[in-house]
Amino acid sequence: MFRMILWKEWKENLWKLLFCSATSVVFIIMLFRMRIIPDFSNCILISFIQMFVVPVVYSLDIFSGEVSNRTIHLLFKIPVKRWMIFFSKYLVSALGIVLVFLISAILMELMTRGREASMLFLLGTNLLYGLAGLFLFTWFCVFGCQSRSEAGSLLIMSAVFIGWGIILLWSSVCEVTWAERFVPYSLLLTDITEISLAGIVFSQIFAFAAVLAVACYRYVSIRRYL
Amino acid sequence: MKIQGIIHQQICQLKWHLLACLGLVMVLPIEEAVVSLKDGTGVYSSTMVIVSLMFAPLLTGLIACANVQGDFEEKRYIFWRSKPVNVKLFVTLKFLTGLIASLIIIACPAIFGLVLSIFCKDYLEDETLQYFLPFAVLIAILTYSLCFGCNVLVRRTARAWLIGMLLGAFILVLPFILPLNYRDFVSDVMFGAWGYYPAIMLIASAAAFVFALYAAQHEWHLKTNLKGLLWVGTGLVFALMMLFNSQVANIKVLQEKEIESHDWRWNALDSAGDRVIFQGRSYINTNNNKISFSNIDVNPDDIDEITVPTTRIGGYRTRIYPWRGRLYKKTEGNLYSLAIYVYYRNEEKKDIYEKVYLRSHMFTGESWMQDDELDISDCLEDSTYPSTTMRLIDNKLIVLVNKSLVIIDVSDPQELKLIDKKLNALKSRAPYFYDRRKEFAIPLVPVEEISSEERIRLSIDRYYHYNDIYETSKVNIHNKQISFFRISQDDIARFDVTGWDDENIYCKFGTARPFTILERLTQDYSFHRAFVKGGKLYCPGEHTLMVFDIRSNQKIRKLGHFVRMDYRIEDIAVLENGNTLLHMYWSQNLSKSHNNQSKRYLCLLENPQ
Repeated sequence: MFRMILWKEWKENLWKLLFCSATSVVFIIMLFRMRIIPDFSNCILISFIQMFVVPVVYSLDIFSGEVSNRTIHLLFKIPVKRWMIFFSKYLVSALGIVLVFLISAILMELMTRGREASMLFLLGTNLLYGLAGLFLFTWFCVFGCQSRSEAGSLLIMSAVFIGWGIILLWSSVCEVTWAERFVPYSLLLTDITEISLAGIVFSQIFAFAAVLAVACYRYVSIRRYL
Repeated sequence: MKIQGIIHQQICQLKWHLLACLGLVMVLPIEEAVVSLKDGTGVYSSTMVIVSLMFAPLLTGLIACANVQGDFEEKRYIFWRSKPVNVKLFVTLKFLTGLIASLIIIACPAIFGLVLSIFCKDYLEDETLQYFLPFAVLIAILTYSLCFGCNVLVRRTARAWLIGMLLGAFILVLPFILPLNYRDFVSDVMFGAWGYYPAIMLIASAAAFVFALYAAQHEWHLKTNLKGLLWVGTGLVFALMMLFNSQVANIKVLQEKEIESHDWRWNALDSAGDRVIFQGRSYINTNNNKISFSNIDVNPDDIDEITVPTTRIGGYRTRIYPWRGRLYKKTEGNLYSLAIYVYYRNEEKKDIYEKVYLRSHMFTGESWMQDDELDISDCLEDSTYPSTTMRLIDNKLIVLVNKSLVIIDVSDPQELKLIDKKLNALKSRAPYFYDRRKEFAIPLVPVEEISSEERIRLSIDRYYHYNDIYETSKVNIHNKQISFFRISQDDIARFDVTGWDDENIYCKFGTARPFTILERLTQDYSFHRAFVKGGKLYCPGEHTLMVFDIRSNQKIRKLGHFVRMDYRIEDIAVLENGNTLLHMYWSQNLSKSHNNQSKRYLCLLENPQ
């Protein structure tokens, strides 16, 4: 049954993968051919926009879509645990996000072939942004899993995005290093040393697991639509 | 139809979205202001205002979608369409109400930032904000209109928002694809460039609005889940645009040549007249855009005349200026180099500087031999480390040692002739910019033997170009207007010379070209090497070269960039035809070990126009 739900989610969200991939490919080709700015800057620009837009696209109707389409009643009556429903949605979205970034990263690398940056540098940078995007999406799941409208989801996603910006600004200006480690964007900071990198990775994995558990709990405890 | 009632209904419908968006755009500037206040550095929020304004267009798109969606949901749509409503007027009112509300939301952080900037006299950010604000407003109008039009057609918030944003991104990139010769995003698009770019955005916004009116009037409704023709069509349009697009802003590489360079020196390229000398051993030829080397001509009769009058000073150490390059003087038959030698000894862990000589060396075909020397030790006021610079103007060498000035005739470098010597004649400190918009004075170097333009150039370079004045300058003289450039982490600033008298040069701030966030992120902070030549400002960083057009009085425009992240740009020479020659170092791992594989290259770049 879990595989069936997974398949249903995959089919329902395939357009998102196609949309994000097609848009990314087109803009990557366009910007890397124009070369108005250097390759590395292009990579940061595209990756940053992707880091925000791709999780937004995936989170727009992943939970609220079931409410607006009124299919949530049917979904919750299927003899499957609700955490399985949550994880089917999460896994399909996570896979989609990873695939979009992977396609973009490979395309960037193929288009530039180390002409300005060293080989695999752009690939690594883009994938790092993808990882941050995945963390952002996970954070969105906590706050957005009970969302009822697409506009509400968009606002929640923006709030998550800006909220982490606030924490990053506060932690960096006030030198609160422990808080900085939990910010999804901390992976993108260029001046991280090897020791702090290990700390960041550990903190991110810890936060990731905790956030996923909370999101799952919140989804399982939905009552109001039933 | 009650217009006031419709407007009231629209505002009520949007109030939660408006409040949410207002909260989102205001929270970061307020936080920055609070943090800076707590930090004790003032109350400013300009940086976060710019960040807020950057994502404000996303939120205005969302307001547009929420604006339309409320009345285009199935049940409410049937309700209001069954009434005697003027559809075009209704949609126009909806559009304008939402647009004005969105613009008010954008204005809030901008006003907040501007007020705090004025309060803190944070002139730079204030200036950036003034330029950035109209651009952000234009993009917000564009995204609002496009999302509005898309939602009338698609009638699903999220999908309309996505399509609107996609179209918005396309319209933002479109002018760069068109043959409008756009190279620099900052100068050509953002900063007071009221040309095609804003026109395209405004036309697109107007078209989206007209489209929304017709779509609502004729009840066009595209039932799509975004899998269909729309995306394929959009993709095809992009692909077609790509086929006809080849506009680039990166500087073209004409030739890249690996060189053997055992005797490594950072400044391997030096100019001697119209020729470029490589490592003091051979000329570089770039005929037909190919790099080749040729020997330096030597007149054997002159070699015989070398008398080697070196003053032998035992137990002393030497510092040489220029320490990384060489100042060459080319005569009809021979090539000479000129250098300042400073002798010092160490006494009780303290360096004591005692002797200064100016020496000329002649190239003998294999090595450099000393030809003549001039003792200028009396320029040393005390035994501390002396600052030394020099510049060759026509046949006169101006040597500056601490506050003293020596003028030497080098028309025949085999015989250095002292023209004048002025001890303690220079003022030591350059003016510090507390507020760069205020007019300021730079002390004039007291040299009557050179033209006034060269005198001004030397005076400015002495203060703002530091040690590299022997070969380059930061001063531009164009159409009898003299200006110079200062490069910081934030921007390139131009200062214009407004006049001068016997004592000072008077300058005022002209214009600035701020670096974009991306440029600041990837900046490698060695722009002190920047120099002006042929109406262009060359900014070599460690891995990057940026060239700016400075001929216009209005703006500083980027002409092109050259980036090699794996390489280190060690030296740069601009040829007479405007092409650029770079000396680059490549290592397997630039940062860690000296034992790994490394190579050196000469790279010939096309003149960016």
